[in-house]
Amino acid sequence: MFHALRVSDNEARDGASAARVGIGGPVGSGKTALIEALIPVLQRRNIDFAVVTNDLVTKEDAERLRRSGLIDPARVSAVEAGACPHTVIREDPTLNIAAGDELEARFPGLELILFESGGDNLASTFSLDLVDWWIFVIDVAGGDDIPRKRGPGLLRCDLLVVNKVDLAPHVGVDLDRMLADARQVRGTKPVIPTNLKSGVGVEAVVDAISAAVLFRV
Amino acid sequence: MLRVLQAIWQADGAFPSGAFAFSYGIEGALALRRDMTLGDFEALVAAMLKRRWASYDRVALLWSYRAGGDLEAIAAVDREVEASTLIETLRTGSRRNGGAYLASHARLGQPLAIALRDDVQAGNCLGHIAVMQGAVWSELGLDEALAQLCSGYTAASGVITAAIRLGAMGALQGQGVLQRCLPLIEQLAAQEVPDDVELSSFVPFLDIAAARHAQADLRLFAN
Repeated sequence: MFHALRVSDNEARDGASAARVGIGGPVGSGKTALIEALIPVLQRRNIDFAVVTNDLVTKEDAERLRRSGLIDPARVSAVEAGACPHTVIREDPTLNIAAGDELEARFPGLELILFESGGDNLASTFSLDLVDWWIFVIDVAGGDDIPRKRGPGLLRCDLLVVNKVDLAPHVGVDLDRMLADARQVRGTKPVIPTNLKSGVGVEAVVDAISAAVLFRV
Repeated sequence: MLRVLQAIWQADGAFPSGAFAFSYGIEGALALRRDMTLGDFEALVAAMLKRRWASYDRVALLWSYRAGGDLEAIAAVDREVEASTLIETLRTGSRRNGGAYLASHARLGQPLAIALRDDVQAGNCLGHIAVMQGAVWSELGLDEALAQLCSGYTAASGVITAAIRLGAMGALQGQGVLQRCLPLIEQLAAQEVPDDVELSSFVPFLDIAAARHAQADLRLFAN
């Protein structure tokens, strides 16, 4: 599996002050639900943040967040993916970079920007031009063989979230085996099981973000 | 030769500029004319090049190019483009495309792109794509002819790529259309652009299609 080339300190992304975190994963895995679950925890921890969504054919995810009442709608930007959900986060992330820059200009104290990818497949990965660190979300209802398929998204992300763990017995998934497979293929990289409906695992995800890019432990 | 290589680099669809997310009316046009033939599409692209690109985008590009990096003069061209673009999604799309284009060049360390990006964020400039391209390409050392050819090529390839992605034609059919557009781009780019000419655009079908597209519930492109 290819890996991102290491960037020396003087080549690193400059001019941006807020940490940028990507959230990718297949359609329906729970990316928007994860952001909705993260928002109150980030707010409780006094982390100044904003969100950029990438919708494929509508602005549904952006509107869902704006209307949720959880976050100031001005802190949610929508970037259309031009029919290419992975182009907009990988080959040509400039629309997302510009959206992040614009949010930073409007909210000078911003510490964190979450970039939600449009629903994609297991090959989806984020450009490190765009984000400092990224999460890949899969769900148990997609099948317990997903970790064994070793898609680049699942292998290369900084944090793997396995969502909808409560559904495992209803969809014939051996959750322990699925998590063990995920940890085995990812080596030392973390895996966090979540049930976003009940909040299971959400604090652990915020802990991971805080430790990785906000340097708060 | 370096300036030719610079032009190839800038016209390459792999250069990240955000352009892939915009169809500039093509998605709306294909939705309006479900019986559109490949020949109709080719005629539409030719009309867009003649009636929008050559007399509007190209003129704005050259005015900005000729500003020689003067931020106030570039901002004045930008305001002229803003005031002359009737359709809201074409106006905002052009600004967002320009912002993404500046983000690329600013990350690559181009000083004028950094200054323009900061001016856009400060509200001193709007960032329309043709205006930003003219300014930056002048700084990169492209001559006027190469800047126009890059602009015309990216305008044609952008809408054709959008149509391919929408499933309206095959990739090779699209390349055929693009290949047949090249002599037209060359011919249009050879036309003089005096400093006192006015911006003009007249492709009402595409404008109406873009306006209708803004109301669509489902769409793949931003305009």
